[in-house]
Amino acid sequence: MLFEVRSRWSKVALQIIATLLVLPFLFPLIVMVQGSFAGAGWGNYADVLGVPGFFRFFLNSAIIAAGVIVLVYAVTMLAAYGFSKLHIRFREVYFWMLLACLTLPEVVLLTPLFTTTQAVGLFDTYWAVILPLAALQVPFAVLLTRNFINGLPDEMFEAARVDGANSFRGFVYLVLPLTRPIAAAVLIFTLIGAWNAYLMPLVFLQSQDMQTITLVPQFFIGEFSNDQTKILASAVLTAIPEVVAYLCLQRLFERGLSAGAIK
Amino acid sequence: MTSTERVRSTTTFASGGGQNGRPRRGLRLTAPGLPWILPALILSVGLIYYCIGYTGFLSTLNWDGASPERESVGLRNYSSIAVDPVFWKAITHTVVFFIVTFAVQTILGLVFATLMHSKIKLGVIYKVIVFVPVVLAPAIMAPVFRQLFAANGQFNWVLEHLGLGALAQPWIGQESTALPVIMVITIWQWTGLTFVLYYAAMSQIDQSLIEAARIDGAGNLRVLASIIWPGVRGTTVALGILGAIGALKTFDVPWLVTIAGPNNATQFLGTYIYQMTIQRAHVGYGAALSIILLVVALVMAIVLQAAARERKEVR
Repeated sequence: MLFEVRSRWSKVALQIIATLLVLPFLFPLIVMVQGSFAGAGWGNYADVLGVPGFFRFFLNSAIIAAGVIVLVYAVTMLAAYGFSKLHIRFREVYFWMLLACLTLPEVVLLTPLFTTTQAVGLFDTYWAVILPLAALQVPFAVLLTRNFINGLPDEMFEAARVDGANSFRGFVYLVLPLTRPIAAAVLIFTLIGAWNAYLMPLVFLQSQDMQTITLVPQFFIGEFSNDQTKILASAVLTAIPEVVAYLCLQRLFERGLSAGAIK
Repeated sequence: MTSTERVRSTTTFASGGGQNGRPRRGLRLTAPGLPWILPALILSVGLIYYCIGYTGFLSTLNWDGASPERESVGLRNYSSIAVDPVFWKAITHTVVFFIVTFAVQTILGLVFATLMHSKIKLGVIYKVIVFVPVVLAPAIMAPVFRQLFAANGQFNWVLEHLGLGALAQPWIGQESTALPVIMVITIWQWTGLTFVLYYAAMSQIDQSLIEAARIDGAGNLRVLASIIWPGVRGTTVALGILGAIGALKTFDVPWLVTIAGPNNATQFLGTYIYQMTIQRAHVGYGAALSIILLVVALVMAIVLQAAARERKEVR
């Protein structure tokens, strides 16, 4: 207990301060929900859900998020193990090359990816979004996971080696099971990053049935000629999966997203 | 990377080299690791460095992105940027944006974390409310904020009911208030993360230290200033670096809420690059802006890291 409050009045005062400070954070959410019921009430939701292909947005976001997660998890685990426990000449050079990518703003990738994906026929496919999103997530995931594996005792890997396990078996039977806590954090921030990504889908997914949930508001502005209530209803519907996922896995989400700041 | 981790990684590196006269410990470092890191290097380093190189090349062109004619102009794009008032506006906005959002988030995060550590009621619910914005996509919340800060929006409604109707104004429609609105939205979105990090950092502070200070007569504010604030320094530095990089990357919110306007009032480097490249088809100019953004981000990350490390050593 950091703050010492003795009298009942100061306790009440503290409670009031906390409530007043939290209210502005609740306010936009209230505006969102209340606005979505304005006018036609549940009818707004019925209209939004009635738009053909509305679920397609969710499906696309899910496919892209799953693709990014699988890709990031696979290459991260392999690389973190290699960086941490195996012999690599110029290891630090490779590692810093990877770390330099941490600061990269994604907007820098736009033009090269635009021309390249068109040249190789990946434009307007899931890959045009999955590959760059994964590439941007990998450096940090590797940094985090390598630090975690560094904390695993070398003796354990030596013992496995003495018992005849090659480095692949060491990976499967030691690294994969033991890195589960950090893998959960990687999974969460990769999921949020991919699910909330806006710029990449905006530029690289042009056809309607490829687009993700972050493009939903824009779609409905066109669809309902700026009928604000339905746009807000669509915002609520797209926000629900995220809020539910967070409420179910609170600790995991908080730890996973905090991992971004604990280097 | 904390200093202990750095130390650890350098020691494994040194012992792995099989230095003279020192036997290799076990066999663990003899297995070749290069194949293991190759997929990550190809995906990340390959794709990103390829794009940077390509952007660097494009930045020397005058090209609309579609026509087969590409005129090489050398560094002329860069010299035009140096005298481009919109570019300098974007830089100024980024700096102001970073300072304000970082300061406010730090204060709010600290206050929330302290309050939640003080056993107030409904703490869990408060935490969820403050953290939920972190999870929500800015792209999804943008329409909400556009309505909230509109001339006939809910923010003005609240002001009127608080008897502050004189302050009501079209917040996103005028130059003077558009940037503050973008900052408010960002603060709304990221304070939850600051708060959760400070909350965790405060749990690590030695309780006996605080008790001892109390016995010596230190009040709440004194404890906050002399024990808690220095105790969470590492978190503050990490959040500062993250916030600075985030400020340089800013795109979603100003683009979706104010379209970088009115009259470039919420122009950031990200939005300007997007406008130049995609909308106005000045691909070379956009590429040169991208390279500048990249250099600024890298230099800043290095400087901040070095500064953070230096201070740590001094203490």
